[in-house]
Amino acid sequence: MMRRLPDIAGGIPRRGASVLVLGLVALFVAGAVWGQEDTRCLDCHGKPGFKKVLPSGRTLDLFVEPTLLRLSVHKDKHCVDCHADVNEVPHKEIPQKVNCRKCHYQGNTEGAPQTGRYLEFDNSVHGKALKAGNPKAPACQDCHGDHFILPGSDPRSNVSRSNIPQVCGGCHLQIYGQYRESIHGKAMASGVKDAPVCTDCHGEHTIARPEDRTSSVNPGRVANTCAKCHAKVVIMKKYGINSEQVATYEESFHGIANEFGVLKAANCASCHTAHDILPPDDPRSTVNPKNIPKTCGKCHPGANANFAKGRIHIDAKDPSAGIVYWVALGFKVLTVSTLLGLFLHIGLDLFRQIRTRKEKDGGNGKTGEERS
Amino acid sequence: MSTTPANGWSQQDSEAVIRATDEKLRDALSSDVPPGLTTEEAARLRRTLLDALPREAAQGARRLCHVFATDRERLREAEAKQRTRLAREASAVERLSLHLRVQHMILFSSCILLIITGLPIKFHESAVSGAVMSLFGGPSVTGFLHRAGAVGLTLIGLYHIFYSVAFRSGRRDFGLLIPKLQDAKDALRQILYFIGRRKERPLYGRFSYIEKFDYWAVYWGMVVMISSGFILWFKEAAINGFGKSIYDIAREAHSDEALLATLAIVIWHFYNVHFNPKRFPGSLTWWNGKITVDEFKEEHPLEYEEWRLSGKVAGEQEAAGEAPPGDNA
Repeated sequence: MMRRLPDIAGGIPRRGASVLVLGLVALFVAGAVWGQEDTRCLDCHGKPGFKKVLPSGRTLDLFVEPTLLRLSVHKDKHCVDCHADVNEVPHKEIPQKVNCRKCHYQGNTEGAPQTGRYLEFDNSVHGKALKAGNPKAPACQDCHGDHFILPGSDPRSNVSRSNIPQVCGGCHLQIYGQYRESIHGKAMASGVKDAPVCTDCHGEHTIARPEDRTSSVNPGRVANTCAKCHAKVVIMKKYGINSEQVATYEESFHGIANEFGVLKAANCASCHTAHDILPPDDPRSTVNPKNIPKTCGKCHPGANANFAKGRIHIDAKDPSAGIVYWVALGFKVLTVSTLLGLFLHIGLDLFRQIRTRKEKDGGNGKTGEERS
Repeated sequence: MSTTPANGWSQQDSEAVIRATDEKLRDALSSDVPPGLTTEEAARLRRTLLDALPREAAQGARRLCHVFATDRERLREAEAKQRTRLAREASAVERLSLHLRVQHMILFSSCILLIITGLPIKFHESAVSGAVMSLFGGPSVTGFLHRAGAVGLTLIGLYHIFYSVAFRSGRRDFGLLIPKLQDAKDALRQILYFIGRRKERPLYGRFSYIEKFDYWAVYWGMVVMISSGFILWFKEAAINGFGKSIYDIAREAHSDEALLATLAIVIWHFYNVHFNPKRFPGSLTWWNGKITVDEFKEEHPLEYEEWRLSGKVAGEQEAAGEAPPGDNA
């Protein structure tokens, strides 16, 4: 910023004046020029309909609504603070994509938030792709927006929860379509605040491929991720959903195998799918009884309609488990009574042996080692 | 004094020496010839002192020994007991045939393998389970070993049924293992004996109610574990045939019966063959099939009587050579 002052302010003396005078003058001039500078950019970019037709035939809308920046978190910034490579008007080159890292790094003095997210992003699937030079990889502004950046808590923000699906859907169009039809997407659209959006499962700046073991959607961690909501009684009670589903999964062979690192064992998404989750009563749902043979058949070839006979999530301690509950109870009674009987028998045997030994000891003054 | 043997060295003797030498001790040790002594006297004194040290030490050690082995009588008693034990062992007879022992060995090897590889699944939250799983090389190896154990258990179970039908000894033993009203009476009498309400233990034949219980507990366990285990192993076929519930029932039964069987073995069977004070640290019958005549008479008096009448055991001192229950098909 400052280095551009002489270009614009021309003849202002920079040498030989007292520091105080220079400072005051600089402040005044700077204020005047900063205000002017945006004005100069807006001479063109502030005209509605200002656009450029690229050689490819694509039309680029270059109009910038000036009030947007003033309403955003960057209200004190000026065009060239970010578009730093623009140094003449009109600029001949198409400016580079803005590099937010100019201010957004941990330890910055620009007033940008001090957070580890900048680095997290570098390790995310998007950050890695960006670094590798993938032109389609999203940088900060692709999700957060450009001139109208607001904190995520502001509902008008690009990254507010209710806007996230559209933002991600901008690139992940097919998945967005699935999500919008899913029970989660529909709930979100109808204003259910608890319904998950993309980032609730995938993470934000930490987003990683499912194959990545650190990913929240890695097969080994999916159950934990779903459990964030589905194991919470407070949330599930509101929608009449069983909050034991994760616990029963973890006790199932699928869950135990998964726990021991067998990632081919089914996790929540293996049966319920990831993006087009639908309630079992929906005929399109993968867990609709009609579709169960096909769903189970993905891993259990030849599964037939009998796979849908009986419940999938079983809690043997709950009477609703039916015959399994009674089997468990029966075994509990059998085990306790058998062990009590055996312990009693052992105790009585030992009692008798000790008494016999004492009698022998008392009788002839010797240790009774003889068999009773 | 120097000629007296070490064990004759008394407290008084050593005190006398110390008294006698006390005044001259320092001089005797510090110079070749202390003043007032001839060279010979000095030499003898030095010898005496040097001799006394190890003797005193030996005496002390002996006194220490007496603290632990309070009297010779005890020692003799222990030796006699050892002799009796050896004599008893020499008189042992083979009560369980090699045929049975091998069945038992295959059974317990399979069971141990099954328990070690199975319990980590039941107690999956425990850190020990993860360690056991890793020790074997992960869940897939553990799963394979569990199935290997299952095959062993199944085959030995089937073979035992064959043995119980096709072999004379098997048929005889199976017949003797069938629970009878007498067993209930025996159990009651045994309890009364335990609590001191009866003077004598009931007289048992080849199998007491305890052994019958063990046998049928294993039978029940094998039926439950093998049938449920195969449903879990061939789950697709089982569910396709009978619905998903059969899998859930099998899973529950397999898990619960596993715990029951493990506890019964670890508590009851280990008590009977290892931790019972009569047996500790363990009976070797599983290995050589032998039982001492004393134990035989005490624990299976009716069977012993049968053996005596048929000439399989001659008398108390004579070892009844080879008289296993026949394996003749």
